[in-house]
Amino acid sequence: MRRDEEKGEAAVFQRVVLKNASPYHYMKVCLVLEDESTKLSAVELKQFIITGLKTLYGEVGAALNFDLLKYDEDTFTAVLRVYSKWLVKLWSSLTLNGFYQNQACAFRVLQVSPFLLALSGNSRELQLD
Amino acid sequence: MSVDLDQTPRSLLVCERSSFCDENNRVSSQVEQLHFNYKVSVLLSDCSSAPSHLESLLTSFSHFYLVRNLPLHELLDKQFLETAVYQGNVYGLSYRTRLDEDNCVALMPNGHLVLSLDKDSFQVLGFEGKTSTFNYKTKNRYVVTVDLTDGSMAPGRQAYLRLLTGLTSRLPLQMDFLLSHHPGGGASLQALLSRYIWSEHKPEVGTCSLTHLPCPDLQSCDPHGLLEWLGAVDANISRDNSSSSFLSSLVCPEPKRTVSRALRISICGLLLPHDVQRLIQELRCYLGQCQPESWVSLTVHGFVDSPVSWGGKEHGVLRGGENFYTLFIFHDHTYHLHLAAGAQDTCPP
Repeated sequence: MRRDEEKGEAAVFQRVVLKNASPYHYMKVCLVLEDESTKLSAVELKQFIITGLKTLYGEVGAALNFDLLKYDEDTFTAVLRVYSKWLVKLWSSLTLNGFYQNQACAFRVLQVSPFLLALSGNSRELQLD
Repeated sequence: MSVDLDQTPRSLLVCERSSFCDENNRVSSQVEQLHFNYKVSVLLSDCSSAPSHLESLLTSFSHFYLVRNLPLHELLDKQFLETAVYQGNVYGLSYRTRLDEDNCVALMPNGHLVLSLDKDSFQVLGFEGKTSTFNYKTKNRYVVTVDLTDGSMAPGRQAYLRLLTGLTSRLPLQMDFLLSHHPGGGASLQALLSRYIWSEHKPEVGTCSLTHLPCPDLQSCDPHGLLEWLGAVDANISRDNSSSSFLSSLVCPEPKRTVSRALRISICGLLLPHDVQRLIQELRCYLGQCQPESWVSLTVHGFVDSPVSWGGKEHGVLRGGENFYTLFIFHDHTYHLHLAAGAQDTCPP
């Protein structure tokens, strides 16, 4: 983290620039299943992701802490929070996770950002049709 | 190898604190520099319904137009230049084009036309440009910036004809295009709209009342924790997780207090900085009539796929294209401004 400070003459103005200072990264992901009628709860989804981490990175990977902040059971869309240093491991395990209960599946990573606010202001969702 | 796995693309967060009473405060110029805004989110503390002045202002945001399959050379049409571009304050942005995959175009209010092109398109176009600032090992992105108000780009001049020939015969790009302008600015888009399929849209406004909102101490909370809390409010994410919860450990930063009621408003579309300035003025007036502990937050998201960001500087998309700012306004006219940018952005102003 790097901080540059500039103080105004009256000591009212303060400006700080933070670089790579976000402790977390946030991912919006969507699970696509071969059988679309499958039901998956939030707990089952989190367990499925942990299983994927364990498959790729072993017990150490399974111990990576991440949060399932929000989950929509109808669209299988979830918002995950993970420490920035573990983002690559989580993302790679999602990519290589291809089977859920003997049916093919795929994780689509819709958006990744170090700011949770950015996930609710994605202009690619603008629909004018 | 483990060191590489820890790395994430660069992100920047600029945090400014000052007061609107300070003549040198830069909020106005910073708002003006982000030309292409997609979404504005407002959070009003201690408020259950939008005041009438605020509601009427939200419905008076400038309308914008979507033109289908617009050939790009039409932006160089003499009549369009005279009736729109030379008048100033016309905003244009290609719609449904992805900055990391497709060719993207922006028309800035000062008459600058910016084309962000892939390598093949740039070479076929045959006009001066430069490589993207964010090309790393391979040069696969090029940016062509043209000042349409400059004398050398007047219709009939050599540079104008070269670009026109390029967009007409060598690289006849067509794309859906969003257009907007200040209503009283003197510009007219009718000449262009009359020749193509177009539709008029007004920004979509949504409101949501919140009750018993846990809220951190806005003065002392660290910026990232504060923005995370605000993002959770905006996305309807629960912050009431116990330490033993399996799913999530997200909680409101301490120290916290509970706000009995709050109002969340969102506006989506092609939003102009001029309307954002008016909204900030109205929010300040509203706050002046509220309790001393009341506050307002305003978040403005720039378009992810705009080839330019603050001040016309180049913008890119690596893993994400976030470029937004959040303004917290307090009753005593002080403010906190947080400007966030991603890996392929220069430092916000």
